[in-house]
Amino acid sequence: MSPTRSDHDTVRTIEAQELPTRFARGWHCLGLSERFGDGRPHKVRAFGRDLVVFRGGDGNLNVLDAHCRHMGGNLAEGTVKGNEIACPFHDWRWGGDGRCKQIPYSRRVPLRARTAAWTALDQDGLLFVWNDPEGKPPPEEVAIPRIEGAGREDWTGWYWNELVVDANCREVVDNVVDMAHFFYVHYSFPTYFKNVFEGHVATQYMNGVGREDVQPPSTSGSPKMLGNTSVASYYGPSFMVDDLTYHYEGMDVESVLINCHYPVDADRFVLQYGVIVRRGEGLEGEAADETAAQMAGYIAKGFEQDIEIWQSKARIDNPLLCEEDGPVYQLRRWYEQFYVDADEVTPEMVDRFEFELDTTRPVEAWRAEVESNLAQRAAESGTV
Amino acid sequence: MVRTDERLIDGAPMQPVRCLRCSATVQARKASWQQTSLQWNAEAAGACEERPAERGERFEACGALRDSVRAAAVEGSLEVPEA
Ligand code: FES
Ligand SMILES: [Fe+2]
Repeated sequence: MSPTRSDHDTVRTIEAQELPTRFARGWHCLGLSERFGDGRPHKVRAFGRDLVVFRGGDGNLNVLDAHCRHMGGNLAEGTVKGNEIACPFHDWRWGGDGRCKQIPYSRRVPLRARTAAWTALDQDGLLFVWNDPEGKPPPEEVAIPRIEGAGREDWTGWYWNELVVDANCREVVDNVVDMAHFFYVHYSFPTYFKNVFEGHVATQYMNGVGREDVQPPSTSGSPKMLGNTSVASYYGPSFMVDDLTYHYEGMDVESVLINCHYPVDADRFVLQYGVIVRRGEGLEGEAADETAAQMAGYIAKGFEQDIEIWQSKARIDNPLLCEEDGPVYQLRRWYEQFYVDADEVTPEMVDRFEFELDTTRPVEAWRAEVESNLAQRAAESGTV
Repeated sequence: MVRTDERLIDGAPMQPVRCLRCSATVQARKASWQQTSLQWNAEAAGACEERPAERGERFEACGALRDSVRAAAVEGSLEVPEA
């Protein structure tokens, strides 16, 4: 027996700390603004709290804590009156700034009649709220960038969807660096993969080719998909913009894909995605809308595949990585900046970090796997 | 809590590489000829001549730094593990 145990004789254990008790500082998208704009109050559970979203008569979208500071009535069950939300319990009127403007049965509004108002932003057809456990306003530098194409004639409108996931939202963020799962879980075939983290932005550069052994993402009769180019960035902890181009024989289809989420509680989040497609040659009128709708369908399938994994996987703080995995630890170091006070953000969390993955071996292995799947399929259908 | 990537302990370490264009020093690591990790600091980011001035604009790589890293790997000052 050897006197010392080397590392590869030691059983590796999975480590996981308690789920974080705070929610990430940053802009979070709650969904399409039109969904909230019907003049009715909308109930949203986010950041472990109940919120009410409503559009006042002035057209502004407002986000307040749902529970009325008078006797706790739920404003999401109330009514929009003018620019205010009226509580269903005793009709106190709350403005978008969080102040009680009027109590119809009282001569005056008491002191301290102020509730939590969330900073909201209605941009490119999307509603965002700013979450900061320290209660500070959003700094200019972390503004959500404008989405070129949103609301434009030469692009389609949003094809938007949402799903509730029973997991901590770190799982979806990990996808940024996880190249291999795109092959095994999503049936895509990455050939180039690079990450860059800097400041509050985390980017994934990924190029891929089509897989002949799975259903091609186009209806029969349409041109063959050759590959795709994707540049996807998280701007802050939860809002990812993906400039995604599909290359077909003889044409490119340009799209912008949004992948975003907001936490409901520590162990639940709402995952949302939306897509717009550029209209152009070979993709005029309804064809572009059909493509966008079809893409939304594929994205839905993709997220369902992720969710299936997430809902049975273990939370793991110490993933065991091979050299062909992406920079999971460095991504989480970047992600940590949103969970500490602003003055506790360290340089290592925000300094630029680049990681280019060596895809030589994965591509070899995946080619072989695709070949063998094709051979098996051919054998089964008796065409060999 | 921020943990360390064990690949840096068990495999090649990060090593300094100087950009032949701007002279900034970054920490670099190659797990193979095709893999590269680059850890910048604020000083290097400030010195880089290829970085866009516009904050938040995507910047995939500095070409001069890429060439410098390749040169360091070829000349042997940046270790590249055997395949
Ligand atoms: S509880 Fe809201 S008005 Fe009384
Ligand atoms: Fe995924």
